[in-house]
Amino acid sequence: MSPTEGFLRHGSDSYIANFAETEREVLVNLVQQVIEILAERHDHANEDPLAAMVGITTHDSPPDDEVLLRLLPNAYQDGVDAAEFRRYTESTLRDKKRAHAMSIRMLLLSATDGDVVLDFDNAQAWLGGLNDVRLALGVRLRVDQHSHDDLELLAPDDPMRAVYAVYTWLGWLQETLVEALMDEANS
Amino acid sequence: MGKLKPQPTVSEETAAEISAIFSSDRPWVVVVWDDPINLMTYVTYVFMTVFGFSKEKATELMMQVHNEGKSIVAKGAREEMERYVQQLHEYGLWATLAREDQI
Repeated sequence: MSPTEGFLRHGSDSYIANFAETEREVLVNLVQQVIEILAERHDHANEDPLAAMVGITTHDSPPDDEVLLRLLPNAYQDGVDAAEFRRYTESTLRDKKRAHAMSIRMLLLSATDGDVVLDFDNAQAWLGGLNDVRLALGVRLRVDQHSHDDLELLAPDDPMRAVYAVYTWLGWLQETLVEALMDEANS
Repeated sequence: MGKLKPQPTVSEETAAEISAIFSSDRPWVVVVWDDPINLMTYVTYVFMTVFGFSKEKATELMMQVHNEGKSIVAKGAREEMERYVQQLHEYGLWATLAREDQI
């Protein structure tokens, strides 16, 4: 099967892409890792079912891990306000991000002949989910400290070279979906 | 004649200022910060979707984030701004909120 050509708008509310099997495997694996890192932040200590039900978490300090911190950032620069906001909203944000990753995983695993068809809501989930993977890889690649030229020049045997290739591919894929959605916004 | 009790006289403006001190409707703003990961077209699209901005307005704000490091993209009551920040975080943008006078 040939490599994907990205997303195209199909009709008024549908976006389609075809993925080769290796591409599906890579993507499923990546979103699975997002699901796992989000689960690390799960409230092990929070055994209060009522608090869990209304979405209050025991976390009010930011995550130590830099990827988790980028996925679940502070809403305020002030530490006290940030902690308060986090306590009431972080579990909702985590659930949303998990749902986005699950949508990508599920639709890739159930794709017939590699065809993925998204409606508007799925497209939003994919945008957010693909972006979360890019955020995670971007943090690990330290794209804030390295120019694209630096990263292009990584030695062929540097494992980060392959990670950077996946990162740029994801950016391209996300962009095809954004463009397909913008088409609609213009029409 | 007894002494008059002191009576504070409160003008309408003073009353408005006092009620503003206790009100949660003082202006808050949503700030979006530049980051090297989010794509420019993606940020533009998110601004259009979350705030209902035209493509032109969304692009202008995105360019401000890109060139100046940050942009104020919304202003209003705190609760509403908090909902926006939450939505922007769902899309993975780096957004915070603050009192307008503290930015």
